[in-house]
Amino acid sequence: MVKDIQHVDVLIIGGGVVGSAILREVARYSARVVLLERNPDVCEGTSKSNSAIVHTGFDAPPGTLEARLLAGARELWPQVIEHLHIPYLQTGALLIATSDEELATLQNEITPKAERNGVTLSPLTRDEILENAPYINPAIKGGALVEGEGIIDPFWTTRAYCENAVLNGAQVFTGVTVTGMSVEENCISVHTNDGLTFAASLVVNAAGLWSDEVARLAGDHSFALTPRKGQFILIEEDHGVSHIILPIPNRISKGILVTPIIFGGVMLGPTAEDVQDKSDLATTAAGLQQIRQGIARLAPAMAGAASARQFAGLRAVSSTGDYIIRFSTASERLLHVAGIRSTGLSASPAIGRYVADLARDQLGLALRANFIEELPEYLSETHPNEGDVICLCRSITRGEILAALRSPLPPETLDGLKRRTGAMLGDCQGNICMPRLMQLFQQQRGSDLLALNKNYDGSSPVVARVPGREGV
Amino acid sequence: MSGMYDLAIAGAGLSALSAIAAGLGRRRTIMFDYQDEPGGFLKHALPAPGFETAWELIRSTRIPQGLTACYGATVVGLLPAFEGGEPHTLVVRQKQGTSQVQAKRVLIACGGLEIPREHAQIPGSRPAGVMTPIMAHQLLAQGYLPGKRAIVYGDAHYSRVTAQRLADAGVAVSLISASEAQLVAIEGSPRLQRVTFRRAGETSSMEADLLVYSVGMMANTHWLKGSGISTAEDGAVQVDAGYETNVPGIYAVGTVIAPSLDHVDSLAMGKEVASLLGGTP
Ligand SMILES: Cc1cc2nc3c(=O)[nH]c(=O)nc-3n(C[C@H](O)[C@H](O)[C@H](O)COP(=O)(O)OP(=O)(O)OC[C@H]3O[C@@H](n4cnc5c(N)ncnc54)[C@H](O)[C@@H]3O)c2cc1C
Repeated sequence: MVKDIQHVDVLIIGGGVVGSAILREVARYSARVVLLERNPDVCEGTSKSNSAIVHTGFDAPPGTLEARLLAGARELWPQVIEHLHIPYLQTGALLIATSDEELATLQNEITPKAERNGVTLSPLTRDEILENAPYINPAIKGGALVEGEGIIDPFWTTRAYCENAVLNGAQVFTGVTVTGMSVEENCISVHTNDGLTFAASLVVNAAGLWSDEVARLAGDHSFALTPRKGQFILIEEDHGVSHIILPIPNRISKGILVTPIIFGGVMLGPTAEDVQDKSDLATTAAGLQQIRQGIARLAPAMAGAASARQFAGLRAVSSTGDYIIRFSTASERLLHVAGIRSTGLSASPAIGRYVADLARDQLGLALRANFIEELPEYLSETHPNEGDVICLCRSITRGEILAALRSPLPPETLDGLKRRTGAMLGDCQGNICMPRLMQLFQQQRGSDLLALNKNYDGSSPVVARVPGREGV
Repeated sequence: MSGMYDLAIAGAGLSALSAIAAGLGRRRTIMFDYQDEPGGFLKHALPAPGFETAWELIRSTRIPQGLTACYGATVVGLLPAFEGGEPHTLVVRQKQGTSQVQAKRVLIACGGLEIPREHAQIPGSRPAGVMTPIMAHQLLAQGYLPGKRAIVYGDAHYSRVTAQRLADAGVAVSLISASEAQLVAIEGSPRLQRVTFRRAGETSSMEADLLVYSVGMMANTHWLKGSGISTAEDGAVQVDAGYETNVPGIYAVGTVIAPSLDHVDSLAMGKEVASLLGGTP
């Protein structure tokens, strides 16, 4: 049986924030561009489970590609946020020193390092901090303000990068896993789980934690990634937190933080635990305990707060310590964008630009004349008679749900709908409205409810028809 | 719907219906409910043994002439008139859009939400197949089974009724008492596979593809945030002996003031409120 082969100029593997940012930047050129994502929606990997901070990069190791791209991203974000209407808030971050040693580290190491990265830290006394943030532990010694740090919606960012690219002619395939690659003379053949074959002039490997495995599909064993777990506790009560609260970072991680969430509530965490299994997203009693202990030093009042939800994400840690953005040892037609450990969201606009420049030079691409820079505000475009509330706890209307189901990159799963609209994220966690949302899905998309998943295959909230009601 | 009402009732659950049956709302009254019918969330589990009075109330209560009942109409905000003034303003969303309604007195009767698994820090994964009774009942009503091997975790009569409903639909059900067994792990991906309990120091696991988490209710008061209505630590609206909140002219009744009480208490409170607010005795 001869399968159709799709010829494309650039094929991106991975629909995380990194692959999606690249997609949008490559879509500026006259080229056939596709993105393949294994999960049923974009932003299902590490990009969905993180602190959601747009870091300035003040503590990045100076001189690294990471530091350079973070600096570049600082210039690009304002436009990206404006054009893609991304919910963003420049909260600033308070760096908190809880001991004299930490204060010395802040003054002698972190402040000069930030300076080299082009970020100015403003020193704050203990009293100034407590005045700004009365929930902070009065036993602290002092700290600094990092003005440029902010919070964002990572899912919105990723989705909007993709939707904007789709509007400009790019294609996004979800639920498609790359299972094989063969390096040919003029292209790379990319094979997928559902039998599609692509012949790509350039393949961008942005498969996050799995990019070492994707590299191996092409016979490239030049790098390996290990997962480092970060667990979080989410609390609904904001405790008056209006800044990101950062401890003094150490070598392994940025430590356990307090981060306000753009849509309300506060995140406590993450932990930093090296684990074996790339699919181990379980939260553990020990991890949650560690978070509460860490928070007790910074903001004791929050340490015991009731938790609305807990979750974990996995960082992709490379042996080099820096981003790995380079061509494969196996072929100049395969470009790795890997090891984007703790700052991929923040650096994404600049990573996208950087990779698109490489693709342009490699393939001799020309800018398209009619690139649409701005994403229409689909999600607020509602129709008459759709004003009733479906998600009770968040007061989200039928119109908002239907707008998401009608958008350029509509959700295929209930989690996809949740992330696009905020439905099911309130106090009842979707127990009241999920059955109604399932019906709307069915009406709008013709979905078979037994195949409508929460996220992955086999995660439908229902498993069979009630016996005797099969035909209903 | 516009104009000024004597009384606006937020929620058409058991406590509101009980108050109406006892004579409340005969004049210039308007009532709103998120759902498409009166009866509250409990209605999805009815009829059921032990809930005969509630079922009878839902079936027999007539909406009086002077009461406009709006279903599929959710009160999303309350702007009280302070300092003894009136009217109070309710922000309501329904099909036609968002509107404001004014009333001299307001009765908050919007009940509770079932406490979901996410509120307890139970270690393990986040699989499909973990839900509270309201979701299980709705899925059954739509003609779908939420699982084939279920554990219902809870002690309430409602937990038992839920277990029975599932069993009647052909699901293999185990009922586990929350006061005897502590839930210590939820495992499986993408769907629930195993639930682990600890009883008297002993740990044991059970295979299941559905966990109905039925440990109790919390007040449904997220929409009152910022309204100035006093709520307790657990979110319940605080009222005095006459069911009046800290704002004169705004009253509350039912699960929204006492999430741990039974539906029988809601029925009794509804009657009491009716007599206090001027229903016919
Ligand atoms: C605890 C924690 C906190 C963090 N906090 C922040 C923060 O505050 N700010 C910040 O900027 N960054 C933060 N990060 C880092 C940030 O989340 C990552 O750098 C970023 O999400 C990486 O994006 P990605 O696109 O490379 O990876 P991913 O989001 O994992 O995307 C890779 C995608 O590739 C897909 N894929 C893999 N293999 C295949 C295949 N064979 N075929 C098709 N598709 C495939 C995967 O399904 C996945 O969707 C944090 C990370 C963690 C874990």
